[in-house]
Amino acid sequence: MSETALIDQRWIARGAERTSTTRFLLWLAPWVFLLLLGIYAAGLCFYYGLNQTNMDNRFAFGMWIFLDLAIIAMGAGAFFTGFLVYILKQEDLKPVLNSAVVVGLTCYSGAVVVLMVDVGQPLRAWFTFWYPNTHSMLTEVTFCISCYLLVLILEYIPVVLRNRQLRKIPSFMIFEHQLHKLVPVLAGVGTFLSFFHQGSLGGLYGVLRGRPFVYRQGFAIWPSTFFLFILSAIAVGPSFLMLVLSTVEKVTVRQLVQPSVFRELGFISGVLLALYVAAKAVDTYFWLNVTSPALGFGPWDYYSYWPLSATFLFIATVPLGLIPAILFIVPFTARRRQWLLLAAGLACCGVLLNRFVFTVQTLALPTLPFDEFPKYTPSWQEVATFGGVIAYGVIVYSLSYRYLPLFETSKGGDKENVSLD
Amino acid sequence: MFPWTDGFHWTATHIIFLSLFFTALAIIISTVIFALWRAGSDFRKHRAAAICWRDNFAELPEAERHCRHQLAGRVESRICDNAFDCRTCSNYPNFASLPANVPTRNGGVCYSDKLLYHRGHTWVRHEWDGTYAVGLDEFAIHLIGRPDSVELPSLFDELESEGIAWTMTKNGHKIRVRAPLSGTVVSTGGPEKGWFVKILPHGEPNLRHLLRGPEVPGWLASEIDRLQLQLSSRSGGPCLADGGMLMPDLMDAEPKGNWDAVLASTFLDS
Repeated sequence: MSETALIDQRWIARGAERTSTTRFLLWLAPWVFLLLLGIYAAGLCFYYGLNQTNMDNRFAFGMWIFLDLAIIAMGAGAFFTGFLVYILKQEDLKPVLNSAVVVGLTCYSGAVVVLMVDVGQPLRAWFTFWYPNTHSMLTEVTFCISCYLLVLILEYIPVVLRNRQLRKIPSFMIFEHQLHKLVPVLAGVGTFLSFFHQGSLGGLYGVLRGRPFVYRQGFAIWPSTFFLFILSAIAVGPSFLMLVLSTVEKVTVRQLVQPSVFRELGFISGVLLALYVAAKAVDTYFWLNVTSPALGFGPWDYYSYWPLSATFLFIATVPLGLIPAILFIVPFTARRRQWLLLAAGLACCGVLLNRFVFTVQTLALPTLPFDEFPKYTPSWQEVATFGGVIAYGVIVYSLSYRYLPLFETSKGGDKENVSLD
Repeated sequence: MFPWTDGFHWTATHIIFLSLFFTALAIIISTVIFALWRAGSDFRKHRAAAICWRDNFAELPEAERHCRHQLAGRVESRICDNAFDCRTCSNYPNFASLPANVPTRNGGVCYSDKLLYHRGHTWVRHEWDGTYAVGLDEFAIHLIGRPDSVELPSLFDELESEGIAWTMTKNGHKIRVRAPLSGTVVSTGGPEKGWFVKILPHGEPNLRHLLRGPEVPGWLASEIDRLQLQLSSRSGGPCLADGGMLMPDLMDAEPKGNWDAVLASTFLDS
């Protein structure tokens, strides 16, 4: 074994079997290339401006916002798993908690980075905090996402400090020990923040009175999309976590999570997804029959421009909503891994399609008689920047899996029980 | 953002929204400050070593957490859940009164009935001057042989039981040896003297957590078994022990062994 490999092995948790250093570096290589390409593309956007993208005044929100909304929804597994474990005491899910934190952290930090590029004026990013427009849903989203990212970093720190070499430093270990005890507080704050920013992401579309395709009535200051976005995010978060865990199991060729954990995540996803589909059906019915006609738009004013647009409504609700919910709940399919993963994949595709419709289709639909139905295709810079974010997520997760105890559970005694006071 | 910032309005929306935001932020910041303060308090109150040890113990595989009473043959099977701290174990008196039943097997490792043994492979000897000498046991010496370097604590350093007493290196591996008892370092030795540190405890020390009598051969036998498994070829898997003796300077004799894992298990390190 070479000296480098020997040093590498010393950072890997004792007893954990990981692939060789060379194979690990080979695995990372394409992702690092994609990350560098993404950084280059983002650099072009910073240097030359947003003319590097295919967004314009009509398509002010493009691929970045659509995928940002999707990965933020999928990253909801982090806060929701934390909520289930620490607040509702669902200890069965504890083995996947660290993994959920890493997934959430990469999703949220990646989304924030893309937002920084999208804003186009990163040097003025602090304006949103210093001069907040408290009547804007986006302000609430910015505040909550920033704070929640801070929470995720604080939840990730104890996982990092449990690295085999870092834990040999007593001050790190003691800080980790104390911070770990306070993680339930962070989980509570994270739940509060996530609840509101997931909702506000939906709310920011629901309040667009000038866009009848997404405008919705609701409760108090919150349109119905506020609640639908929360529900869809907490339904899809566990599904995405299942997909990630299953992919990691496939790549590493070892069982990391007990089948019962998959079943539990699936059941949670299924129940919430069923609730979401029911709420979405009621909401769509009310919108098509009451809200939209009141604004002078009938259903075919939205669905006659592009044949697929009407199909999207059906696909997002039934094959990518109701069917996965049934697969998650029916015992025959819920007991089988392949069905669970199929359902999880469908649910994630459902949230992707939903966010696409809310972001891109909304902006494409004409609202004035002389308007057209324009088309938007992202530029390579947009695609590469987002590819960089995905590569960043894979790299962070891979490094975390290799060097941090993502799946280990306590083996001996109660380490909290130090009776020396 | 603040009343003195351009654009701030004394409206209900502003006040409610910003109050909620500042509350969430204050909770996050206070949580970190509180964790830092508690960590500092642990160091001030000398709880750090115990916390680190408990944390390390929690990571030990079950096969390395056998209770001393199982090793002595007093009970058939028992896994320790108290970080090997028999001083605070409520079950200790119940098991200690049972008759021992240890299979006699000499694996080439000597031990003395006059010494007390720590699970991290150190021994403790009460000296005539009230201090306690601490050295590496025969098992550890057989593994390491002569260390390449030794870093001993300074005189009058305070050691915590289960904290790191001294470190050694051998063939590029860093070895951290745990202190079997708390106290002040009053003298330092080394491999050539047979002991490494002499500790003066504060008051009469409670040494109930150290192994003695029939527990020692049982423990050493299980340690040799563990070593055999860790050094056996991965492809071959565990084999039936054929007897034999533990040879000296094993790290030099078997340089391709998985010493990283062996040393971590031997010295109860992570």
